[in-house]
Amino acid sequence: MSEHAFHPLVKQLLDGDITLADLPAELRAEGEEAVRLLAGVDRRPVELPAVSRRVMREIASRPARSAWRRVMQPREIRLRVRPWLLAPALAIAAALILWIGHAAPVTQASFVTVRFVLVAPEAREVSLAGTFNQWDAHATPLVRTSPNGVWTATLTLPAGQHQYAFVVDGARWVPDPGAPAVDDGFGRRNSVLTL
Amino acid sequence: MIISLLALPLTLIGMQQRIAERLTGRVSPDVAALVTQLGTAAAARGLPVDPMIQKAIEGSAKGIPSERVVTAVRLVAMQLDTAAAALREGGLVGDTLMIAAGEFAITAGLSANDITALARTKASASALTVGLRVAGTLAALGVPPAETIGLVSATLRSGQPAESLLLLPAHVQSEMAKGITPAQAAAGLERAAAAQARHGPPPNRGQPPPHPAPPPHPSPPPHP
Repeated sequence: MSEHAFHPLVKQLLDGDITLADLPAELRAEGEEAVRLLAGVDRRPVELPAVSRRVMREIASRPARSAWRRVMQPREIRLRVRPWLLAPALAIAAALILWIGHAAPVTQASFVTVRFVLVAPEAREVSLAGTFNQWDAHATPLVRTSPNGVWTATLTLPAGQHQYAFVVDGARWVPDPGAPAVDDGFGRRNSVLTL
Repeated sequence: MIISLLALPLTLIGMQQRIAERLTGRVSPDVAALVTQLGTAAAARGLPVDPMIQKAIEGSAKGIPSERVVTAVRLVAMQLDTAAAALREGGLVGDTLMIAAGEFAITAGLSANDITALARTKASASALTVGLRVAGTLAALGVPPAETIGLVSATLRSGQPAESLLLLPAHVQSEMAKGITPAQAAAGLERAAAAQARHGPPPNRGQPPPHPAPPPHPSPPPHP
């Protein structure tokens, strides 16, 4: 296709904005030539039946996007921040955080630190098992703190009631001689700690 | 109503799963099956399941044969029922913490009537829960039930804070260390608490009756 550099008024003629009669005399010939060229163009619609059917079938087969997917679909958002607005926004956020903090104080469980002591000079290892560690005989070892066999462990436990026993050398369950004890239901005694 | 009826089985199924998860790998399968069954039934009656789970785990950790572990867990379940009934007798529908505290008190040697007597003090739920734990601890120290209930009831009625209740076992131990019997120690403390209830708290409010400072707990023990 050849390129035609028509006069702007001739282009207006082709666009249908003006008629041939509106053109100045010196542009009439150019206008007529442009109209003649335009008339030669085949304006029949292009028929691509196979492609159309395929495209329509593809569109029809796609599931409709749910509202949730539309909402969750990532989008690019451009934000323009005016720096002088940041200060009051931060102040409002801080005030809200402080207000919420006062309105709903965090409830903290009460904890108590307890020192467990057992004197067992002959023991090779001592540990503590109880309701606070699911009776795991290996979870809470005591440390030998003196050469005369004093074993200690310091734990922070939640307030409430705990039952426990010392486990000496991994096999012997020994109640705490310095604490009250109850029957464990298996013929032994559990020490009791009420915090 | 219909929603509640439909939700109940789902809740119980969830409870079954939670119990089974806690027992997995810690107890034998037959013990786990029984505890799951007992625990689910107990939960449906509003009872705590933790004491049963703890007893099963404890028994297995101590190498106790399964049959004896099962017996011990059944006993805990019965005592939970007894504690809940005793609280109801005292006019309370106890929450799970309170019922567990009552079960501990029974394990320590107190009776259902003792628990009912404490429930009738009209103390707040949290104070009564602490009171039941302390009563069990005092019984474990050898204080007879009558003196135990007298001391804890008097302290609850005196309106002292829960910290005062928690100090009672240490005070009894301190008195026992001087050669006084547990019953005498508890009776002395009860008189002081009753006097405080009549005349109001002493100037050093929040402190227990005039007794020497309690020993650290647990105190360094003698050789085992």
